[in-house]
Amino acid sequence: MNVFRVLIAQTRANFQWYFLRDGEMIFWSLAIPVFFLFIFSYALGGGNTKQTSTFLIPGLIGAQVLSSGFWGVGAMLATFREKKLLRRIYLTPIPPWTFFASLVLYRMSLLALQAMVLAFFGSLVFHVRFAGDPGSIALILLLGAATFVSLGTVIGAVVRSTESANNIASVLTVPLAFLSDAYIPIDRFPAAIGNTLRLLPSTQFIDAFRGISMHGASLASYGPWIGILCLWTIAGTAVSARYFRWV
Amino acid sequence: MSESAIAVTDLVKRFGEVVAVDGISFDVAPGTIFGLLGRNGAGKTTTLETCIGLTAPTSGQVRVLGLDPTRRRDFDRLKRKIGVQLQATSLPEKAKASEILELYAAYYGVPARTKELAERVGLEDKLDRFVGKMSGGEQQRLSLALALLHDPEVVFLDEPTAGMDTFGRRILWGEVERLKAEGKTLVLTTHYIEEAERLCDEICIVKGGRVVARDTAPALVAKYGGDAVVDFAARGFAIDASLERVGRWNQKGDRWQVFVHGEPGHALAAIVSHANALGIVIDDLDLHRPGLEDAFIAITGEALDEDLGAIARPAA
Repeated sequence: MNVFRVLIAQTRANFQWYFLRDGEMIFWSLAIPVFFLFIFSYALGGGNTKQTSTFLIPGLIGAQVLSSGFWGVGAMLATFREKKLLRRIYLTPIPPWTFFASLVLYRMSLLALQAMVLAFFGSLVFHVRFAGDPGSIALILLLGAATFVSLGTVIGAVVRSTESANNIASVLTVPLAFLSDAYIPIDRFPAAIGNTLRLLPSTQFIDAFRGISMHGASLASYGPWIGILCLWTIAGTAVSARYFRWV
Repeated sequence: MSESAIAVTDLVKRFGEVVAVDGISFDVAPGTIFGLLGRNGAGKTTTLETCIGLTAPTSGQVRVLGLDPTRRRDFDRLKRKIGVQLQATSLPEKAKASEILELYAAYYGVPARTKELAERVGLEDKLDRFVGKMSGGEQQRLSLALALLHDPEVVFLDEPTAGMDTFGRRILWGEVERLKAEGKTLVLTTHYIEEAERLCDEICIVKGGRVVARDTAPALVAKYGGDAVVDFAARGFAIDASLERVGRWNQKGDRWQVFVHGEPGHALAAIVSHANALGIVIDDLDLHRPGLEDAFIAITGEALDEDLGAIARPAA
């Protein structure tokens, strides 16, 4: 068995089964972020839609990173377990991590697609410019994805039922996006609250991603936050590895 | 002497307070079709899932092809040698049957013989159908194809025909017979008498997590079914000491059943004259040669089909 071949085949299958053939999924993962971009840019832009959308685009992509981790991987794993799909995979000779990796790869490809679609509308309609270095943008995006996939997997590892996993994923994704500088600039909050919100890994990731992608900041200038995100990733991975069950 | 394909020794499995398997032992010779027969909740599925490494035993030992499914390395080797059709499982709803078959072929690193497999399980015209749009029986047959696609040495089938129509059942039975002809070892759980009787070389009757009898179907019938079975309904009927010697009695309400030892005619005469003496009318009298179902009732004291309820033994 060629593990690499299986990984590619399973990733393609995931993309087809859980995205291309699922109208609801297309709506929520592509149409809604674009809708948000337009609504928020016009409603909150106060005439300066370019500045607003420059703020919003990395926020919307960042929110999708959270959602990929919590929903796309975490709640999905719990669903797969409850539907007794994981146990069937577990009995095949593929290394179990291959299945997990294919789920992550599928969400990463979807994330790349979401980012491109948002960037496309941003530059076409609002003349947004991406000042960042493409390599650095990719790296910070990957680190964020790793962090929230590992934290999301904790949900998949600890929570038994699909319903609670979905509820936890929603509770984490939606309010966090509003509190983590994704849609609302954090300095609109009173200083004490703002400073607390800056402790969230989601805030740190979205700020670093925004600085690097839109304002051309270097990875090094976000060094401490990148370090903290790495620690969250390690912690999430350790907890998931300890508690994850296939059956 | 050839080694057993499967050896289960003193297997116990507890889920919290519930004892699902309470000391089951058996071994299966290579090339045998071995059936675990019992009601729902008897411990069949748990036993099977322990053999394939899905459930870890609380105590006791399982060896399949000499490998211990609880050990990581053995389990990894075992997974290539066994084929499994699970009762409790599902496949992605938006996947097409053909895509699943191709993906599983990639898992096992074998050529995707999609068409050939589909024909074997009667899904050749359903290959483009989404799993979610397939009937329960069709999904079961797809699951059977997945169990067979890597040509395993031992095949485990958990309630393989549950929810299947006659067509599906015939296909499954045909596949089981074909696997037997190829010399494979099969373990199947079932609560269908007909299936056990028709397919299994050896039947292990399970009740309350224990093995209560184990033999070939004809031997079980000969040993436990008696020489004849008499069934009748009689309101107010009761047996006395001389009638008790006729055979083994079961009673449920007004329904009586006796597994007759010896000459059936004499037994029948004794029952009828006893009823006459009591002034009781016998309804619905039936005398038949015992089958596996009768043996099952004689062994477990209950019918296999839950709806029929337990036939309680009369008080001595």
